[in-house]
Amino acid sequence: MSTRTSTNGEVTVLGACPHDCPDTCSMLVKVKDGKVLGVQGNPSHPFTQGRLCAKTNHYQERVYHPERVLHPMRRVGPKGAGQFERIGWDEALATIRDRWSAIIDRSGPHAILPYSYLGTQGLVNGLTVGDPFFNKLGATVSERTFCDSGACTGYIMTVGPTPGMDPESFQHSRLIILWACNMLSTNAHMWPFVEKAQRNGAKLIVIDPVRTRGAQQADQHIAIKPGTDLALALAMMHVIIHEGLADADYVERYTTGFDELKAHVAQYTPEFAADVTGLDVEVIRTLAREYAAAQPPAIRIGVGIERSAGGGQLVRALTCLPALVGAWRKPGGGILQLPLWAFPINWEGLHRADLIPEGTPVVNQWHLGRALTHDLALQTPIESLFVYNSNPLVVAPDQARLIEGLSREDLFTVVSEHFVTDTARYADILLPATTQVEQADLMFSWGHFYLTLNQPSVEPIGEAVSNSELFRRLARTMGFEDPLFYRDDEQLMRDSMLWGHPSLQGITLEGLRGTGYARLNLPAHDRYAPHAEGGFPTPSGKVELKASMAAGGNFVLPVFRQGYNGFQDGGPVDALPTFRHRNETGATDTALAARFPLSMMSPKGHAFINSNYGNMRRQLAHQGEQYVMIHPQDAAARGIEPDAVVTVRNGRGAFKARARVSDEARTGVVVAPLGFWVASSIAGATPAALNPTAFADLGRAPTFSDNLVEVTPG
Amino acid sequence: MTHVVTDNCLQCRYTECVTVCPVACFRGDGTRLFIDPDLCVDCGACVPMCPVHAIADSFDLEDAQQIWIGVNAEQSKRLPTVRERETPLPTAAERRAALGH
Repeated sequence: MSTRTSTNGEVTVLGACPHDCPDTCSMLVKVKDGKVLGVQGNPSHPFTQGRLCAKTNHYQERVYHPERVLHPMRRVGPKGAGQFERIGWDEALATIRDRWSAIIDRSGPHAILPYSYLGTQGLVNGLTVGDPFFNKLGATVSERTFCDSGACTGYIMTVGPTPGMDPESFQHSRLIILWACNMLSTNAHMWPFVEKAQRNGAKLIVIDPVRTRGAQQADQHIAIKPGTDLALALAMMHVIIHEGLADADYVERYTTGFDELKAHVAQYTPEFAADVTGLDVEVIRTLAREYAAAQPPAIRIGVGIERSAGGGQLVRALTCLPALVGAWRKPGGGILQLPLWAFPINWEGLHRADLIPEGTPVVNQWHLGRALTHDLALQTPIESLFVYNSNPLVVAPDQARLIEGLSREDLFTVVSEHFVTDTARYADILLPATTQVEQADLMFSWGHFYLTLNQPSVEPIGEAVSNSELFRRLARTMGFEDPLFYRDDEQLMRDSMLWGHPSLQGITLEGLRGTGYARLNLPAHDRYAPHAEGGFPTPSGKVELKASMAAGGNFVLPVFRQGYNGFQDGGPVDALPTFRHRNETGATDTALAARFPLSMMSPKGHAFINSNYGNMRRQLAHQGEQYVMIHPQDAAARGIEPDAVVTVRNGRGAFKARARVSDEARTGVVVAPLGFWVASSIAGATPAALNPTAFADLGRAPTFSDNLVEVTPG
Repeated sequence: MTHVVTDNCLQCRYTECVTVCPVACFRGDGTRLFIDPDLCVDCGACVPMCPVHAIADSFDLEDAQQIWIGVNAEQSKRLPTVRERETPLPTAAERRAALGH
């Protein structure tokens, strides 16, 4: 039974949180008389354990928000003014057809660019929902390296697409490093497993420039300078190898390139790392020794880890560490990057990259502002932008240029949304999207091993449609004949997984309707040690300390580019984890560092998920106004009073915020959470206005933590 | 902002809440519990556990209840952590009935 009825006519539906978060909570939706009364976590779920979070505890407030977009609309005011009038779906689709047909006739389909990510991340309505449509249309391919792409490239070059550790097995770890992971705000449902290990005597170490909530609970907080972690990781290898702390047997059996790595890391002494990271030499030595000694040790890396010039090689180095010390031998040892790889997903069937015409160009989504302002060398300039599952004006860098591009009168912009977001204000046609309680979906997780079914609780509100229905309508509008484009949600779910895979043995859609979720058919957390005896899915079958895949050059996994493999980056990659300075630091650019002496980070807010909830009163009350956290010494040196309005600027832009004077971040570091909306900002800009468009070394990750700024009063 | 324990807890002290807290943010004396606002992550798991509806998102507090934000913040800093379920106070059943829960 998917639902149960209580005596007062209230029905509980088994749902799932749609958000781009590793935790993918099993969610109970309470419904009465066709209306959602409230939601709560599902207490029976072994990982999420009845908890939701500050974002989703009152999801019904999002569903029934008075400002929701419930009907198709067309722009009636200037671009950006957010003035719209209601039209019908027929007119909206006819307008899209006419404009696109004219663009295709005139310039070809490359002039159309889709833009999306994981505003909802289900297999039906998420990452890939529009791919078959746009691939068939022949539109420019969107390279979506929003999150973890650089980490994925580095990780896969080293250990292959292995799930790595089961997050539940952290309870068996003897030492845990949360590295660039603000777990209590962005991966909170994993915390109990970490805390259990800590109660059992494991040492908990947090490596983060900021004293996060998790850092306050840790046994040790290592407050590193932003973007210098690679030096620390390389020095850990240096100590482990040169003090003879490595697990020689594991290294011998299950790794390649050890001798070369040994010679290579001789240069990365603790003294070298201390100079770069701002940490004490003994802290670095002790970290390496304790990491090697406490068996099994576990590393959990956060999404932000990749966000500096050497972010990809940093992940390479961290992924080498467990093999060096034999951490993989026992449950509770290894590294946790992205357990998404545990899910046997039919990616090829979801993307349908076979439909992409040869020679189709690619635009990386961090370059949207440049693409729209003719700053990229595109053979076919972009004439139409189709945005769904994303709000680039808040999350993409180069905000001022993006506003300039979106303001182009000759750009035909379509946005599908819940609200008139900052991006939606620039839409020519605005389409109403359903929320999670109005749609069906099947959810993978990139933070645990459970497949979760989201069953619809209520009918779509107004004229909102799910993304899957949106693309069915668009296919019909553009005259696509292949039945592929007209599969219903049930069929899309059936087609989305490789159901015959051993990991799905015993799991069916029918079964999921009754339980809401199912753990993949993998050994339990106390027995799960997938690489106790090697078996890494790399070209050599071993951990590639020296990566053979580096010879092929830099690449983005096809999963982040509509399944496409054309026009890959191809830039040179060091086969051994190699240090590089940040792009923006005194060692690289003295003049820049003199003008802009502070390092800015723009992490996710506790009550927002990217820009979601940045317009909602409850979450704004929790999050407060847009602030920039600055150390008391840095504030005093600039005459900045607590709570005063300040301007944060660099050569790319400026925004205003309230100064939160606090020693939570180290001196020289300022922290401005991302997710606040431009429309409600003090001066029409948010932290993204300062973020660079430069890519990190691998997987075209962003470099948002490699960002020099200055802060001034007023 | 945080979740808070209101005075519905007084004379009850059911402590079901502490069994689901992922961050062990409950503090208590012999009469009732409080939430440490610096630890609470607003997961909301404790809210439905309380038989007397004593726990609320501070956003939802009415004006007269706003005092509990400060009281929780203050008291939690001087009281010990309560992380295991304990026997409710002898007055709990009577108090619960009086509160209409």
